[in-house]
Amino acid sequence: MATSAFASRPKSRSKLVPLEEAAAMVRDGDLLALGGNVLHRAPMAFVRELIRQGKRRLGVVKTAGAHDIDLMCAAGCVETVNAGFVSYETEFGLARHYRKAVESGEVRVNEHACYTVISALRAAASGAPFMPVAGFRNTDLIRENGDFRVIPDPFGGEPVTVVRAIVPDWAVIHVQEADETGNAVIHGPKYEDVLMSRAARKVIVTAERIVGAGHWQRQPTLVDIPGFLVEAVVHAPRGAAPGSCDRMYDADLVALAKFMKLERSDIPAYVAQYERADRSARKAVIRI
Amino acid sequence: MTRIPGQPKPQSYLQTSPKTAPAATPATSRTAPPKTPFAAQAKKPQTSDWRIGDLMVCVMARLLADGERVFHGVASHLPMIAMALARKLHAPNLVCLNIPGGVNPPSVHKASFSSAGADLLSGAEAYFPLDQIFDLSMRGGLDVAFLSGAQFDMHGNVNNSVIGSYRNPKVRLPGGAGSAVLIPTARKVILWRTRHDRRTFVEKVDFVTTRGNVWKVVTPLCVFGVKDGRLQLESVHPTSSLREVEENTGFPLKYGDVVYTPPPTPQELAALRQVDPHDYRMKEFKN
Repeated sequence: MATSAFASRPKSRSKLVPLEEAAAMVRDGDLLALGGNVLHRAPMAFVRELIRQGKRRLGVVKTAGAHDIDLMCAAGCVETVNAGFVSYETEFGLARHYRKAVESGEVRVNEHACYTVISALRAAASGAPFMPVAGFRNTDLIRENGDFRVIPDPFGGEPVTVVRAIVPDWAVIHVQEADETGNAVIHGPKYEDVLMSRAARKVIVTAERIVGAGHWQRQPTLVDIPGFLVEAVVHAPRGAAPGSCDRMYDADLVALAKFMKLERSDIPAYVAQYERADRSARKAVIRI
Repeated sequence: MTRIPGQPKPQSYLQTSPKTAPAATPATSRTAPPKTPFAAQAKKPQTSDWRIGDLMVCVMARLLADGERVFHGVASHLPMIAMALARKLHAPNLVCLNIPGGVNPPSVHKASFSSAGADLLSGAEAYFPLDQIFDLSMRGGLDVAFLSGAQFDMHGNVNNSVIGSYRNPKVRLPGGAGSAVLIPTARKVILWRTRHDRRTFVEKVDFVTTRGNVWKVVTPLCVFGVKDGRLQLESVHPTSSLREVEENTGFPLKYGDVVYTPPPTPQELAALRQVDPHDYRMKEFKN
C-alpha cells in the first residue's frame, strides 16, 4: 500500500511494546487521564495490568467513569479521583467499590462538573495555569474542591469561576486502530480522548488493531492522535472489554453482572482471569 | 388500591394500572376560571392502558417545542426516549444532542444499557460532541437540558454529590455530571426522577451540587413548575392524588390550579411503542 515515493523514507522507530512494559512505565503516584466514557472504550486491559502490577496512589482524571475507576478503587490503586460522574448508569447503578472507598476515606474525590474537567484539560493543553468556566456557579463544589476559585473579571465584568489546569502524567487511550509509531484513529465517539492526548505529559495508546506504516498518508486528517505525541503503543484486542468498543464489540453485560457480585477480596482473581487474554497479543502483531 | 388515611402509602406508581382510584382528588382550584388547557379536565382520566413510565415519557416529550436544541446525558433513558418521541410527534425540527455527539440519532433502539454509547452517533445527521454542547450552553445556545439528582428541595437546589457531609459522606453519589454548568446556563432545565419520596424531595438538600434555571420537575406522582423561585405543584398524575404527593414530599406543597396530568393519548402510545419497542423506558424504575 505504500507507494514508491513513500518507500524511500527511513523507517520510524517502533513504539510497539507489550502491555506489561507499557504499564510498567506508570509510577506509583502518577496522574492518569483515562479515555472513553462510562462503559465505552475505556482502556480496561491497561487498567487490569496496572492492578496486576500492584500500582498504588494513582490519580485518575475523567469526565464520566464506570468500570475503570470502580475496579481500580476495588484494587486499592487509587488515591484521588477527579471526575464529574462515576457510575454504571441505569443498568447496574452505583459504582459500589468506588463508593465504599470514598466513604471510608481511602479515596479522595475532587468532584467536578464534566465541563470543568474539560476546561482543566484545555488549560493544560494550552499551557495556561487555569481556565475560566462560564456558568459554573451556585454550587457548593467551588467551596469543597480546591481546584476552583472565583476571581474578579480583570476586564470589569462579573466575577468568574476558574479551574486550575489538570496536567495528567499519562493519557491512556484505547483506540480501534494505531500504527507502530503511535498514529491513532478513534472510530465513533471520541469523547474527551483527543483533548486528553494534548493535555497529558505523555500518551500511551492501546489498540484493537495495529496497521502498517503509512496507513493514513492519503488521508492524514483522519488521524486523531499523531504519533509524535505518543510514548508507547500496545496491541490490545478486546482491550476495552467488558465495556464496549465501537464497531468491534458491545459491552459484555453477563461479565459485568458477575462483577457486580464480587467483593474486594475477589479482585485479584478477577484481573487474573483476564491476564492471558490481555497479554496474548504481545507477539502476535498483525501487520496490514 | 385502598389506603388508610394518614399512613404513608407504599409507592403505587410501579404498578401497571391501579384498578381503583386513590382516595383524594386533586381538583383544588383556588383561583377563578381555569386558564390552562390542562385545567379543562373535569374528570379523572382513564388509567388502565399505560404505565407510569409511559406517562412520564409523554409528559417530558410534551414539554419540548419544535426547533429547540435539547440535551440528555448519561443514565438518561427517559429523556432520550422523550426527545425521540417529541421529534416523531409534534417537534420534527427538534435538535437532539447527546454525549457521544450524534445530532438527531435515527433511533434509540440499541441504547439498552447506556445513553452515552456509539449507537447514538451511528447514522446521526452530524457530530456535535459533549465539549461542544457545553460550550453551546455557556454561550446561551442550549434551549433545554434534562438532568436528574438524588435530592431536590423546594428552592430547586439539586444534589447528586453526597448524602451526609461532603468530606465524610454517608453515601457517595455518582456526582452531578454536567449539571453544575448546565442547570445555571441552559435556558430551561427539566429535572426528572423515577422516585418521589421524602428522601428525594427534601426540606433542605445535604449538598448543593447546583441550582439555576429549573423549569419543570417530572416525577412518578406529579409535575412541578417553578414560580418565584419555588417549586409549585402543577399537575398530579391520574394514578396519584394530591394527598399522596403531599405525604411523599418533604417540603410544604405550594399550588394554585392543580389538575390531573393528561394521560398519554392513543397516538402518543402508538408512537412510543415505535420509538422504544424494547421498553427501555421502564429500566430506570428497577432501582
